[in-house]
Amino acid sequence: MFVYEKKLQYPVNIKNPNPRLAKIIMSQFGGADSELAASVRYLSQRYTMPLPELKATLTDIGTEELSHLEMVGAIIYQLTKGLSEKEIKAAGIDDYFVDHTLGIYPSSAAGVPFTAAYLQSKGDAITDLHEDLAAEQKARTTYDNILRFCDDPDVKDAIRFLRQREVVHYQRFGENLRILTDKLDENNFYAFNPEFDKKCFKNQMKKNK
Amino acid sequence: MTERDILMKQLSSYQFLVHDLKLYLDTHPNDKATIEKVNEYTAKLVPLRDKYEKLYGPLTTFDAEKNRWSWVNAPWPWENEEVD
Repeated sequence: MFVYEKKLQYPVNIKNPNPRLAKIIMSQFGGADSELAASVRYLSQRYTMPLPELKATLTDIGTEELSHLEMVGAIIYQLTKGLSEKEIKAAGIDDYFVDHTLGIYPSSAAGVPFTAAYLQSKGDAITDLHEDLAAEQKARTTYDNILRFCDDPDVKDAIRFLRQREVVHYQRFGENLRILTDKLDENNFYAFNPEFDKKCFKNQMKKNK
Repeated sequence: MTERDILMKQLSSYQFLVHDLKLYLDTHPNDKATIEKVNEYTAKLVPLRDKYEKLYGPLTTFDAEKNRWSWVNAPWPWENEEVD
């Protein structure tokens, strides 16, 4: 069960609208490596995870990603609030405006709508954890790219916080992978699927002997 | 920053500390030093949360039983009040 808390994880207080910047940040709301993709990925993968540490980590990080999605939405909202038609055209977001006005819609910077095809839930803990490690690095690179085009200190502050969380999550997923492989047959981690072939865990292998 | 922003920042700082340490505990559930830190920061967080809700309205819909209007009407987190 999820309960909404009426606050942001980290404050977003932007004084100056900047629709061009909002457009590139949109990729972290509904692009391939977005907070939305991260959240759906982790909260879907967790059901069949074979160890309690993995279930806990995916639940807690998947939930934190929802807080990040909310922060990114707040950034885009504040960067595009109260714009005139003239400003919208001058900033080159008239192509977004025609479909969504100033509503917040999950798509990439280039306008591609969000799709579950961006993510995978493979039913194999080793495979899924590698996807999760990659996802955190891809999101980190996206934030690095956003920072290249961002000179507003109000926006930078929030984006840097989000970037840092990708690094911490990467660390946690790395520990998850180690915890998992420590419990598997070290001669060949890939001989079995730890979510499907139960006998691949060391304690199970002993029992079978 | 308004008084409300300052209190929110204090509350969020402790909440974030506790959250980040709990993520660590997901992979190190028996780490005593971390558990002690979580308890220490949670003890600081709880009164700040109570103070915030008393002054500025409920943070969850469950806390809003006696103050439905405040849940609806108090500013939503994505609004920047300094600009409005």
